[in-house]
Amino acid sequence: MADSAAPVKVAECGCITALGDAGATHAALLRGECALRPVPVLGRDGGQAVPLALLPGRLLDEAAPPDWLEAVRRLHAAIPGADWGSPGRPVFVTGSNFGVGGLYALRRTGDASFAVWGAPAACTERLRALLGWGPDVSVISHACVSAHLGLLLATRAVEAGLAEEALVFSFDFLSPFVAGGFHALKILNSGFPSPYRLCDSGAIGLGDGAAFAVLSRERGAWALAGQSVYNEMHQFTSNRGDGSGFDRCLEGVAAAARGRRIWFKGHGTGTLDAGQLEVSAAGRAFPGAPVVGWKGSLGHTLGSCGLVELAIAIESVRAGRTPGTIGGAGPTMAASVATESFENGAFDGVVCASNAFGGAHAAFLLCHA
Amino acid sequence: MLERHLQALHTDNPGDETPAAARERLKGRFPPGATRRMTTLGLLVGNALAELGPGPDDAIVYASGYAESRALEGFLDSFPTPSPTLFQTSIHPSAVQQLMIGRQAPVREFLPLSGGARLAFHALRAALLSPAPRVLLCGGEERGTWLLERGLASARTFAFAAALSREDAPGSLGSVRLSRAGGDGELGLESWFDLLDGRTAFDGLVAPGWRLEVVWR
Repeated sequence: MADSAAPVKVAECGCITALGDAGATHAALLRGECALRPVPVLGRDGGQAVPLALLPGRLLDEAAPPDWLEAVRRLHAAIPGADWGSPGRPVFVTGSNFGVGGLYALRRTGDASFAVWGAPAACTERLRALLGWGPDVSVISHACVSAHLGLLLATRAVEAGLAEEALVFSFDFLSPFVAGGFHALKILNSGFPSPYRLCDSGAIGLGDGAAFAVLSRERGAWALAGQSVYNEMHQFTSNRGDGSGFDRCLEGVAAAARGRRIWFKGHGTGTLDAGQLEVSAAGRAFPGAPVVGWKGSLGHTLGSCGLVELAIAIESVRAGRTPGTIGGAGPTMAASVATESFENGAFDGVVCASNAFGGAHAAFLLCHA
Repeated sequence: MLERHLQALHTDNPGDETPAAARERLKGRFPPGATRRMTTLGLLVGNALAELGPGPDDAIVYASGYAESRALEGFLDSFPTPSPTLFQTSIHPSAVQQLMIGRQAPVREFLPLSGGARLAFHALRAALLSPAPRVLLCGGEERGTWLLERGLASARTFAFAAALSREDAPGSLGSVRLSRAGGDGELGLESWFDLLDGRTAFDGLVAPGWRLEVVWR
């Protein structure tokens, strides 16, 4: 459903990736840095080396308590305001992993301390206590569009006057569980991702990521001017071959973007079919818009990618320069794919899109408030 | 106040029914061969949702705290050669996707939630804030095995699906209202299911500052 009339603003936003906070990540992307490194897919249990972008110093193997907690604490400390999770200031936690890495470690070692963070509810409840949130904490989990849905639900709560402000908080940290799963699907392999490039075979990378956005009706320099979702329900791990799922999602945002000059931050994981379908659909919905994707450097930050990449998009607009698509070489799937960074001062909107298992699509239009 | 009207409801409370028995009971509700890879939760939620005839313009709000526990257990047991099928099946919110992909039935808005003590409240708030004319609020849990022993899966299997409309209509089953109020409370998914399954009226606090009324006709 396209909520194109929602005047809700992004008052605050930030992220952490393997390259640092939003500012550091943006700067590194402008320099063309790639955070992905070959790591054994099952960590200390070995396996094929696959491209992963882990936070500096973090291992793929799960620790108890999780070794990503400190990064989450640091990110949370950057969020202004208090009383999150109280009536009128709800929290929407999103992600696709939560503490699931602990289940893998539990099964391998039998150590009960890994169970503590294992289920989404238990993980979120512990995080709630750790970060001092009140009890109004919703948990949204829809694979790689999770963060978009958190933004959508938070927008609706603010728009309806049920919340003064809402916090969307998303985190996904890699583990042998998720790396092993994508490796089993064969889309995570020894190859490094080359989003939107014409290649013989596709490959993705995975990355740690966490991010937040404070949504407000009253304050903020950035507006979520349109949000759209669509679920193809065609196949678990692929999209309809005619690209109609991409079209149906983007048409909701295209209406909100009419008359604006747009650049398009795509999902761009490095898979071939989805990349081609996405670039083609972006060209139909936003003719002439340059397309960029950053997962060739950051890896796919999974359920959090929508919020992580929102923070980088905002940093790009703030700095006046958009990082180009990173990863691979050779011809791109369309002339619209920007492989070099570009000045964005002449643009007045960014469309950020993500996709997920089940043919789920989500997109929003970000522009100056 | 947020209000929607209950136009249709299906609940499934199978007690100690085994996964094999659930599959046998429900296999006629799905295309031949489709149930082979479906989870117990997928079967139960899928059947409940199918009763409501989901359409492309409906919004689906799905709530499950533990989701596909058996598939998750199987996936974890499959290492060091992880199963791709169990990986994709174990991902929240696969239960609804098992039905909808089987039917090749796209839907505009699909909002899957997880959570604990206030999961039902959060799902209800998401449902009542949706702009869709009809919202299908569904959910459930499936009983785990070794994850249950660790407190990481549900001890009970159940499923529900309710059709909620903006406008009241003849034949509606009742109404659901959320309003702001002082005080605190909880409403987990199992308690919400029991309210629906027993057609039990409710008026009480379900979250800090939120009151729920469930009225049956």
